[in-house]
Amino acid sequence: MVAIVTTRHCFLAVTLGVSLAIAGQAVAAPEIGPLPVLKVNEARAELGKRLFFDKRVSGDVGISCATCHEPENGYANKDALSKGYPGNKHFRNAPGLINTAHKKVWMHDGRIGTNLNDVTREMITEDYIMNMDMRIMQERFKQDPLYVEMFKAAGLGEPSNGGVRKAIPEYLKTLTSRGAPFDKGTMSASAKRGMKLFKGKAGCVACHNGPVFTDGNAYNTGVKENFDVWLDPQRHQAFIAYAAFMGIKNYMNLKRDPGAHLQKHAADGSDMGRFITPSLRELKYTAPYMHNGMSKTLADVVAFYNRGGDNDRNKNARIKPLKLGKTEQQDLVVFLLALSGEPLTGSKHVWLKAYPTEYPVIANWLNVPN
Amino acid sequence: MGSFNKAEQKAPILFLIISVVVTAVATMATVTFAMGDKPPATASKVSLTSMPAAGPTQPQVKSFAKVANPEIPPLAPLGPPPIPADNPMSDAKVALGKLLYFDPRLGGDASISCSTCHEPEQGWSFAEGISRGYPGTVHWRGSQPVLNSAYYNKLFAVGSTPSLESQAPSAARGGVAGNGENDIMEARLRLIPDYVNRFNDVFGEPWPTINNAWKAIAAFERTLVQRDTPLDKYLLGDKTALDDQQLRGKALYEGKARCILCHNGAFTTNEKYYNIGVPRATRWEEDGLAQVTFRFEQYAKGTTEEMYRNIKDDAGLYYRNKNKWSMGKFRVPSLRYTKYTAPFMRQGQFYTLEEVIDFYDRGGFDEEGRTTSFPETKTPLIQKLGLSDEEKEDLLFFIEALSGDEILMDKPKLPPYKPLFSQAELQTAQAAK
Repeated sequence: MVAIVTTRHCFLAVTLGVSLAIAGQAVAAPEIGPLPVLKVNEARAELGKRLFFDKRVSGDVGISCATCHEPENGYANKDALSKGYPGNKHFRNAPGLINTAHKKVWMHDGRIGTNLNDVTREMITEDYIMNMDMRIMQERFKQDPLYVEMFKAAGLGEPSNGGVRKAIPEYLKTLTSRGAPFDKGTMSASAKRGMKLFKGKAGCVACHNGPVFTDGNAYNTGVKENFDVWLDPQRHQAFIAYAAFMGIKNYMNLKRDPGAHLQKHAADGSDMGRFITPSLRELKYTAPYMHNGMSKTLADVVAFYNRGGDNDRNKNARIKPLKLGKTEQQDLVVFLLALSGEPLTGSKHVWLKAYPTEYPVIANWLNVPN
Repeated sequence: MGSFNKAEQKAPILFLIISVVVTAVATMATVTFAMGDKPPATASKVSLTSMPAAGPTQPQVKSFAKVANPEIPPLAPLGPPPIPADNPMSDAKVALGKLLYFDPRLGGDASISCSTCHEPEQGWSFAEGISRGYPGTVHWRGSQPVLNSAYYNKLFAVGSTPSLESQAPSAARGGVAGNGENDIMEARLRLIPDYVNRFNDVFGEPWPTINNAWKAIAAFERTLVQRDTPLDKYLLGDKTALDDQQLRGKALYEGKARCILCHNGAFTTNEKYYNIGVPRATRWEEDGLAQVTFRFEQYAKGTTEEMYRNIKDDAGLYYRNKNKWSMGKFRVPSLRYTKYTAPFMRQGQFYTLEEVIDFYDRGGFDEEGRTTSFPETKTPLIQKLGLSDEEKEDLLFFIEALSGDEILMDKPKLPPYKPLFSQAELQTAQAAK
């Protein structure tokens, strides 16, 4: 709780410090630093782990959470634009999930800013993501004896939708960075120079601050559109469905990602193209970058900011050319890489056991309660 | 409540109460057997065994029927299907509806179309007792034949929707059917230029809408009718259209076999709801996936916790009106085109029409003596028929005369997606940001 209070105090300071940031000076922002330790209910997290890798969480049992959030890629994906549900594709980059339990706002557009229970529901039920009627999912899991056991052990009663929405967030708590040079105090000289730039000349810390390296706010930084969203009708259909559902005006003619515009729907469109500041931890594994995967490498990302982003009339005033030299850009990349820890790809984080290939029949069905 | 484990002990008391009610109602002497929802009153008084063969005008039928119902519509040639005023037919609309009917992009993962479960070569139905359902699931009832569905006033096995226009979205969106959502299905249609043009021509709106898609599909379905069966020809004056055996079967249908009591009128159904004694589908005892869906249906249809825990059969009309007298009742289906729509009954309990006839002959029992899970709602209209083997065969041949030639249809070539914007248009938009 102490950490949260501190964050809120410092948040005010960020707002006040915007003008300083524009001037390219050091900013009073929430300290970057180690992540707090989260208390984890082991039985519940173990259940969540099995669910996370289980394709039966999706409508046609074609994909699991891990299809788009792959452990070996920092629980993100190498595709610029995510796979999405079979039959369509997604129109945004799958964000890495390591440290997601430490965030306060989720999704690139911040449309869910409550808790991971809601995010879990959104991912499972959204038609272009997992398209699952959770009432069917619940009955699937009641038909799996191991789940019946695990839900009970997790204190969640019999398998239920609510239980799934508690267990997956509990598992996500276990996906917390560990062993990053930044946290261990083992950064190279280059990384240390990068950190100084990060906090100073490059101005990154104005938005990428706190233990998760994000302020949870939305900004337009002038990222170019990824045309594949529109040139691939399977992506465009998901985009249309999304924009229509979110009440975006003129969604059939939209040729840009509205981003966080859906939060306040500014009549003049001046909030179009804002995206939530992403965490900078674990970037070593999560290329490509940006909400639409338009930056392939961290060097590209740094070069993008160094030139002051690309053109957009709504671009935030903070985004200005940085005038970083080549070595400075390299140092910044080295610092960013020092924010990545050990990969979370072992059995502690990944469900490696096989799933049953069919639902066992409940014996004596007529004489046992459903 | 016979199938509810926990309720079984209460059943005798419940039945006593019901009996009292039945008696009271019966003494009012105004109840007709056709009031599907209520306990039939005095059907045991109906004697059909001495019924002579009846012609199209069927004065005899009326004479026996007035005991229970003064107006049994006679068998009649099938006319054109009714066309709703808010969805008039046109060739262009039907052509569009045909494409959409076969297009799997009107389903959740774009792999399953209307035709997947309502296949022309499977009697416009699905040739398994329980329909295949959405990938990763199985359904819990058999597919209804789409052919001739234009004549029903209500669709689905228990009449859940009042029109073909409202049936299509229920099927396309149901979790164990199409599992599609309106927004993405509509978006898909808008990225298929041929559909954009066709919807514009037919409906005069700039973009395809999902509701107009259902209208087009309904219009197509209204062309899937069969009005030239041997029976139709016979009733229209071609006395050679039915042979002697079929005519004997017709007399049984209208008399001793009692079929006409419910399977009457031009469409061979009174569209009312009865429990005729069909036993529980055995698949639920043998198939884990089917057990998953069975529970889902109880949950999704808004049953009580107690019912969800204990029910072991499809309660039919009950899910619609939550009236315990509706337990196990299903809408009388048309017998037209049944030559091609096996298996029969709500979960395909019978694979052949011979089995169906035997079931009725036994008074609503299968060959192992199994009957409904809801005996208290079983209609007294169903009685042992005492048909000889010869009579059963006559009846079978007549029922086959309710089907004409098989109606098949080649799947159309479906129009492709195309990007809505060109690279150049996207570049212009990018530059203007």
